[in-house]
Parts: sequence; structure tokens; C-alpha cells
Amino acid sequence: MTGTAIKVEGLSKKYYLGYNAVTISERIKSLFPSEKKNKRDEFWALKDVSFEIKEGEAVGIIGRNGAGKSTLLKLLSRITLPTTGRFELNGRVSSLLEVGTGFHPELSGQENIYLNGTILGMTRKEVKSKFDEIVEFAGVEKFLSTPVKHYSSGMTVRLAFSVAAHLEPEILIVDEVLAVGDAEFQKKCLGKMDDVSKSDGKTVIFVSHDMTAIENLCNRAILLNKGSVIVHGDVHTTIRSYLSQVSRKSKVISLNDDQSDNKDFLFKSICFREIGHNDLLEFLSSGLDIEIKINYLSKIRDSPELIVSIGFFTQNGTFLFACRTDTINRKLSIKENGELICMIPNFPLRNGVYYFNIIAYSKGEVLDHIQTAGEITVEGGDFYGTGKTPAGNRPGILVQYDWAAH
Amino acid sequence: MKKRDRVKVDSERSSISLGLKELVDYKDLFLILAYRDFRVRYAQTYLGFVWAFMQPAITLLIFIVVFGVAAKVDTKDVPYPVFAIVGMSAWSYFSFVMMQSGNSVINAQSMIKKIYFPRLVIPLAKSLVGLVDFFIVFLMMIIVLIYYQQPISGNIYYFPFFVFMNIVSALAVGIWLSALTVRYRDFQHIIPFATQFGLYATPIAYPSDAIVGSLDPFVLIIYYLNPMAGIVEGYRLSILGLGEINFYSYISYGVVIMLFISGMIYFKKVERTMADIV
Repeated sequence: MTGTAIKVEGLSKKYYLGYNAVTISERIKSLFPSEKKNKRDEFWALKDVSFEIKEGEAVGIIGRNGAGKSTLLKLLSRITLPTTGRFELNGRVSSLLEVGTGFHPELSGQENIYLNGTILGMTRKEVKSKFDEIVEFAGVEKFLSTPVKHYSSGMTVRLAFSVAAHLEPEILIVDEVLAVGDAEFQKKCLGKMDDVSKSDGKTVIFVSHDMTAIENLCNRAILLNKGSVIVHGDVHTTIRSYLSQVSRKSKVISLNDDQSDNKDFLFKSICFREIGHNDLLEFLSSGLDIEIKINYLSKIRDSPELIVSIGFFTQNGTFLFACRTDTINRKLSIKENGELICMIPNFPLRNGVYYFNIIAYSKGEVLDHIQTAGEITVEGGDFYGTGKTPAGNRPGILVQYDWAAH
Repeated sequence: MKKRDRVKVDSERSSISLGLKELVDYKDLFLILAYRDFRVRYAQTYLGFVWAFMQPAITLLIFIVVFGVAAKVDTKDVPYPVFAIVGMSAWSYFSFVMMQSGNSVINAQSMIKKIYFPRLVIPLAKSLVGLVDFFIVFLMMIIVLIYYQQPISGNIYYFPFFVFMNIVSALAVGIWLSALTVRYRDFQHIIPFATQFGLYATPIAYPSDAIVGSLDPFVLIIYYLNPMAGIVEGYRLSILGLGEINFYSYISYGVVIMLFISGMIYFKKVERTMADIV
């Protein structure tokens, strides 16, 4: 017999855009109703969300950027309180919205294990009993008395994750923390999470853009869009409806529904054109000279460190190639509201359906990152200029080559 | 079987309790945060722990020169250095907590935005770290007392009570300031100034009789709204047998209690939206 682990009823969260009375004079000004705090400055990050999760279920939360996934996690983790509605959690909860919360660079590895473990809700005694396991899992035995500031970033992440992995909650709430660390360690962590949800019969809520991870880990999923639950059901069905939402047939793909974030840089939309033509393309074909037009909003001017990249993946998530500005030493000067153009002559993908992501960094910091930004269909075309379409029906990359016999 | 944990959150029912039971559950976090602050405080400084002695020692030296030698403050038959360090031992703890807790919640914002815990743990941890400073000045005081062969007053039994009041008053102001600073960053600028001001607005370097005799009652009441005024007097009364607890001192104690209770309530109120506004 399984009971209810999580019950959510009519949960909503409202934010005020740009409303942050931080100094007394601003507070006094906002007392006068002439300005500010209009109805339109309200933003519902989550609106009337209800669902129930049974004990032992592993549920993935999916949706586009700004759909309300993070807000939902923050509410369930009790970091922030709902504007309306209620929820109930039955069991000991651990939430991991970040790895290494509270890590202090001046403290040693050992001290940070205790610090981080306690912050995550363990008692000192519990950390002590798990200490050896944690150290072994992270593989940092030799560096226990070294201050964490001398650790490599990979070691820090491994240590932090190892602490988190040894929590013993009945309900585990995980944000996309797996997006850090090297691939091998990620696999180890996914394995550990899988153990938690499957063998121990614990309840897991997992937010990710990585559909493969969701599919492997979860048996059910919830699709959010603009703060509401669109689908709640079997993981495969829900992912399929998410992907069809992403690939909505429209020539201009809008990228960010997110208005709550005060990001410095935001991708707005993306579309495809043939070089020298103005018509937007609904699908591409191999060998076409294309340009990708990306619209953005930016609060930063002329960042010499700005790096933009667009990457292409197969439908099951295999990376194919990426066009990064820094690889070809291209510096982009940006303004408040403009467009970036990426030109790809002789488009090298075979016929098939592909996903692309888009990311902007500056000084090593992610400004905006949209995984599964959209879907693009490529039809077979005359890539080699031979007047015919390459044979075969599998997605993949086309390369220029030649043969000779001597 | 162990008891099931159960969490209920309802937007329509705000809790009236101050969550004291929950604070006890989080005592390990409270202790380790205090340990962290203590450990990193003098990390990579050349003089390290010596700094904890330097500040009160230099303040004491300035007092001796300005008030003891130049202004010749009347401290009855007690040598001036003894008089001043007893007052300072009460004040140093208070001022440390006041300075540290103001920014404490803001400095912990990365934690606050990522994980749940009773936020009150943060300013409370600061007040625990402050006890180290208190202990250091207390040691200095004992050394000065021995050096001047100052006899200890028969009122010494009251001393623990005044130490307790000292901690409560530091907590009260610390909790208030940590919550206020989250809402109004103005307090980041007010606090250093207020601490400086408080050092002179409290009878630390001079005896309060000098004030009680020369000001009219209305101004005196304002003077004693200072939560530390009565406590500094209490220290002197219990250690040196100097002065007396007058009517105005009780105002000061009343202020401490009121600040403490209202501070807890205000903090709870701000705590609800802390992650959204910090």
C-alpha cells in the first residue's frame, strides 16, 4: 500500500516585476500610489498548480525556460512561500537546488563536509557516521585537510555532490544540479539517484532539460507551461508532448517566455534563412547556404568576452556540432536590442530531425542558456554539388571528402 | 518505527509560533555556522588571533588618555583603567554582534535562496561567535583588576544576571538589524555610525552620575532608551560596587526586553519573504 508523498493544491506564486523597495526613500515613494505597482507589473510565475505524487514515484518536471519549474521547486523546498494555495509533504525532505551550498573556500575539505551536510539538514552525528563513505565516493582522501580554495573545480563539485548523495531523505527534490562535473561523475551520480528512487522506494522530484536523464530516472513527469500544469502522466507521453510543444511549426521560434528574470542578456527568438534571401525557412536542406538569425535583449554593451554558441543534436540527444564565436575568433559587438547572425554555408546535416541549443557566456559565466531551444527538420539535399542527394536515411553529419587510387 | 516528518504549507494560514522548537532541531547548523565564522575570521591574517586583543586594547588606551588623563573624569576611588575596562567588557560584545549581524543575512543570501532552514540561525550564530570576543575582553579585565589590586564588590552575585541581559540585548539589536538590513540596505551605512555613536552615548568612558546630575528628566529618559546604558551600569555595580541602579536604569532594561520580543516578531515577518527580497 502506498500513500501520498506530496499533495499540492491550487499553488500560485506572484512576483512584482521590478518592484524591490530596498531603500527607505524608495519605500516612501512607493507609498504614493501615483507610480509603480500597477496590475501589469504583476507576474504569476506559477498559477493554480495542483497534483499528487505517490510514495516511491520518481517524477520529472519539464517545461521551457520560464515555465515555472524553478519556482515550483523553491516552493516545495520552502525557500519561498506561496501567494495562494497549499501543499503537504509526508516524509523527510532534502532539496538540492545547488551543489555545495554554503561551501567555504577557506575551510578544509573535512570541515566543508560537516558544514555542507548540516546545511542540507543532516545532524552532526549523521554526517559523522557517513563521513568515510562520503570521502570515498568523492575520491578526495588525500586532500581532506586542504582548504577547498586549493581544490580544482572538478574536485569541489565531486565533494559537494558526494555529501548530497549521502543524504537519506524520503523525498528528494533535485534541480538540474547534474549539469556540473565531468561526464563520468555525472553518470555515477545518476546511478546513485537511480538507486535512491528505485531500490529504496523513495520519492524523487527531478527538474531537468535533459530528456534522456528524465526518461532514465523517472516513471512519471509533469509538463509545465507559463506557470500551469499542461500534462501530468507517464514519462514517455509527457516528454512527447513537451517535444511537440518545442517543435511547434512556426518559422520564428521564440526562446524565452521568461519575464521574471532580470537577466543581463536574453535570447528572444531564432529563425532560419537562406543566405541572400529574405524568406524564412520552415525546414532546411543539406547543402543549403543558410544563416541563423537570433534576436536578443541585452543590458550589457560591447562585451569583448561575449561568446555565443549554437549547437546541434540528434533527437536522442547525441551532440553533432556547435558553432562557437570564440572558436573562429569572432568578436561580436552587441547593443540593447539587436540580432546576431550565424552563417553556415553548405549545411552539413543529413535528412532527419534535429534539436539545437543556444548559449551565451561572458567571462566564464552563463548569460543565457536554452537547451532544446527548438527543433529543425532537414531534408536531403545536394551537399556535394553532384546533383544528387546522398543515399541513406539516418540522421548524421555530412563531410567533404574525396577518394583516389594510386 | 520512527516518527514521520510532515510539512504543511498553506498560504492562508500564517503561523503564529516563533518556531522555537524548530530552532532546537537546527542547533547543529547554528553551531557549525558559528564555527565557520570563527575559523575564517582571522584566516590569512598575519597577526591572526592577536587582532582580537588589539581592538579593545587600543580603545582602552584612547579612553585612558582622553578621559582619564586629559579630561580627568571623576571615578571616585577606582583607578580610571579599571573603571573603563569594566564598561568596555559589556560594550565590546554588544558592538560586535551589532556590527556583524546587520549584514549577516545578506551575506548568507546564496544559502537563503537555495535551501530551507530557520533564518534566525544566521544572526544567532553571530552572537555565539561574539562570545569569543567577550571572553577576550573579560580576560583583559581580570588582568587589569589584578594589576590594580582592585577589591571585588560584594554585589558580584548580580554579575551573571547582567551578563545574561548583555547577551539578550545584543541578540535583540542583532535580530532587529539583520531583518531591517534585508529590507532597507540603508542600515549598512547606519550601523557603523550607530556603533560609534553608541560608544559615547553609553556610560562606558565616564560615570553615569555625571549625566544624571546635569540633564533634565526628559533628556535622561531618552539617554536611557539605550539598551546598553543600564547594563554597563550593572557591570560596574556588580564588579566594582560603583554607582547604583536608579529609576532610569529600569527603563533601559525594559527596552532590552521589548526590543528582544519585537525583534523576534519582526524577524519572523521578514523571514516569510526573505528569499524573494534579499
